[in-house]
Amino acid sequence: MAITQAMCTSFKTQLLTGTHNFTNGTGNTFKLALYAIGGGGKSSTTATLGASTTAFTTTGEVASSGSYTTGGGTLTNVTPTFGGTTAFTDFSDISFTTATITARGALIYNSSATNAAVAALDFSADKTSTAGTFTIQFPTANATGAIIRIA
Amino acid sequence: MFSVSSGVQVQAVNVMTSNEGGLDTEQITQLAMDKIMTVADSAPPAIKDQAEAFRSSIENALKHYIELARREERATIAHRMAKAGQKEMADLVRRI
Repeated sequence: MAITQAMCTSFKTQLLTGTHNFTNGTGNTFKLALYAIGGGGKSSTTATLGASTTAFTTTGEVASSGSYTTGGGTLTNVTPTFGGTTAFTDFSDISFTTATITARGALIYNSSATNAAVAALDFSADKTSTAGTFTIQFPTANATGAIIRIA
Repeated sequence: MFSVSSGVQVQAVNVMTSNEGGLDTEQITQLAMDKIMTVADSAPPAIKDQAEAFRSSIENALKHYIELARREERATIAHRMAKAGQKEMADLVRRI
């Protein structure tokens, strides 16, 4: 049982079938849900996320707290663009406030497309907020560092 | 036979948390700096030194103005509270 940083394989397939639209404003709704390991999820569940994840799951998701509600927060899309021969997209940073959360990773999924999984994110260590802010900052949007890139 | 290959990649995110309240000025400054400027480890030493000095200078200015913005916002909130008759609450906010 673990969380492994990966682009979900099903997402790669769905790129070829035109399932996802990351356009700001007119595109799909993408969400980010937080997950715990070691029985830290709601109802003492543990998350297993990685390349084989195909859709949003409640197993291992952290419980609602502060502005975080189960199912996760809605991301703000940044319309895809490119640099050189690499296409990339980005999301605005997301924060959950007044939240008591311990999370080891996250799942980005498309709630407009039957909650199809996009990417599993591994925080490398447990990250905890206690009645505080839990912020996820996406990397700089460019051809070498953007959160999702097609090289 | 012809084929075209391409890689789909996902990058790591940065997580920042706080206890008993929101992020502090230092943390917000770090979030901003991570978006504004990074210095490559592979940069030549002379250029790296200059870049790091520049980064430090931006960081100090940013920290100062974020702190100022927080203080001024608190002052406005405290003023509005006092004006609405919530003097105790206003004092509480002012002392943060």
